[in-house]
Amino acid sequence: MLLKMAVRELLTHKKRSLITLLLSAFSTALFIFANAINDGSHNQLIRSSVEVYPGYMQITNREFEDNPSFDHLIFDVAEVKTVLNRVEGIKSHAVRFESFALYSTDEQSIGGMFTAIEPENEAEVSRLKSSLIEGEYLSEKDANALYLGAELAKRLKVTVGDKVSFISTGADYSFAADNLVIKGLFKTKLYEFDNSTAFVNKAYFDTVMRSENIATHIIMTPNEIEEIDRVTDDLQNALNDTLEVKNYKTTMKDLIMAMEIDEIFGYITLGIFFVVIFFVISIFAFLSVYARIRQIGVLRAIGTTPAQIVGMLLIEALILGILSVGIGGGASAYATDHYEKHPISLSSWGEVEVEEYFKQYNMVAEVTMPTEFNPPKIMLEMLMMLLLNLLTVIYPIVMINRFTPTEAIRYV
Amino acid sequence: MRIFTLLLTFTLQLLAITADEIIKKVEHNIQSDSGYSKITMIVTTARGERTMKMESWNRGNEKSFIKVLYPKQDRGITFLKIDTTMWQYVPKIEKIIKIPSSMMMQSWMGSDFTNDDMAKESSIVKDYNAVISAEDETEYTLSLLPKEDAPVVWGKIVMKIEKEDYVPLQAVYFDEDGIEQRVLYYSEVKVFGTHHLPTRMTLIPSNKEKNKTVVIMDEVDFDIVIDDSRFSKSALKRYSR
Repeated sequence: MLLKMAVRELLTHKKRSLITLLLSAFSTALFIFANAINDGSHNQLIRSSVEVYPGYMQITNREFEDNPSFDHLIFDVAEVKTVLNRVEGIKSHAVRFESFALYSTDEQSIGGMFTAIEPENEAEVSRLKSSLIEGEYLSEKDANALYLGAELAKRLKVTVGDKVSFISTGADYSFAADNLVIKGLFKTKLYEFDNSTAFVNKAYFDTVMRSENIATHIIMTPNEIEEIDRVTDDLQNALNDTLEVKNYKTTMKDLIMAMEIDEIFGYITLGIFFVVIFFVISIFAFLSVYARIRQIGVLRAIGTTPAQIVGMLLIEALILGILSVGIGGGASAYATDHYEKHPISLSSWGEVEVEEYFKQYNMVAEVTMPTEFNPPKIMLEMLMMLLLNLLTVIYPIVMINRFTPTEAIRYV
Repeated sequence: MRIFTLLLTFTLQLLAITADEIIKKVEHNIQSDSGYSKITMIVTTARGERTMKMESWNRGNEKSFIKVLYPKQDRGITFLKIDTTMWQYVPKIEKIIKIPSSMMMQSWMGSDFTNDDMAKESSIVKDYNAVISAEDETEYTLSLLPKEDAPVVWGKIVMKIEKEDYVPLQAVYFDEDGIEQRVLYYSEVKVFGTHHLPTRMTLIPSNKEKNKTVVIMDEVDFDIVIDDSRFSKSALKRYSR
């Protein structure tokens, strides 16, 4: 009977019910979408920053981070590779040797990173290959071929096919120099990286830098990102103590912390939004219930108990809540799914301006903002909004039940 | 000899008025208007030892020319320094390369010396103030502190000078935070005419306990005649052979 009364009441005051429903549905949609865009953009930034070059996991000599000299290298890469093949959960790995060189053209000389990679393996652990913008990516057969950052190329005033000489210090501290031909240019959108880095095939690098079976880093991608801590521990246990295994949670902890702080501010903003929604719906619920004091007075006078009044009003709120949260949640779920697949483009703000903004913080310049479509999280947020809807009628119900039937009937 | 001269004058020329007399005497002792030397440089790291041999010509402190003789794969690499600018010629790539400012703190030929040690790009004389911080019967201790806003490499240098012949004994280099970075020891003093020259110099970086670079002067000639052409960019390639 209470359900019937509640439905009848909602249908009798269609306009009021519709406004409440739309207000709540809009708030639900906005709340879920804002959270999804917050999570989506943070995840994209972390994923991009990790995948552009640093990689999800790395092995280095334990001393290398504090003292990155050629005395602190991985001195037996072959041995480490056999361990990598034994440990479960590693999808791909690639060997790198990072060093420093002076690049010289006929016009000028500029210092920069001079890094050896295994071209095919590297394509599995980073976005270097897909960052190609001109020419070709490196191959395992390349000698003297240089894969050059686009910004560094600009500074050197060279392009694909041009010759660049380098001088550097070999892994055995001997002098190393050679002439290279630019095979390809890359642009990762990480400005400082593009401005200072160039790559060659490690097989060639080893001949000029005397670095055979030696590396500064081995980069790995796990099968499942969720299992990265377990794989990191397993690998560390399988390797000798001179080597250290770290994953992106450690190597990029500053970025992750910045994202967490940003997330906290995001939650604070959403919290304020949540409170505002609560009060807006509360006020509307309050007015709606108070507009019915005389009606409730009559119901009480004909024998309806206060508990039944509470039940009826709660059922009304529940019906409206389920409908509005369902509509709002459904709409936002559709939108978050859509914008996860087709991220919101920021290019209308000006691609250059967006890149300049990210450049200031030395972050990957992303001109898109995806949402994160996370059904369990959306369900949870819908539930929160439903509870919020129910909470908004608690105070009006308590207030209205303080009236005696006579007071309520005479209430003007 | 060039390396000796550069490292010594790097610190000594900084001295202010109160230390001027000491500087002049040390400079007079170790420098000449022109000189030639044959040098052996032994670079020791945690992973082994590497030996290089070089010839060096200098005119005062302003110009110098170095040619690598050994090892074989590096033979013919030449360096030219004029004032604070340094060029390098590498036969393998047949190119003369000017060493840019950004590379000045990079290792010189894989040793513990930097390009800045060779080129003295940081302006030493005008950038540091020097005081005699201690003195005993046999030696002076000089402290060199950078002048305000001076674009210098070191935060402080402490040098010990032997009193009798004004021979440098030791130089300790500190960074801007006052942390010791490296110590340079001078030893095996030999007499060349009126010059009392330490012919062995050992540079030990403070943060690499197994590393050191030893420079030994095998031959030294003071006040010789050197053709002007030796100190030109074209000489880099010409004298490389």
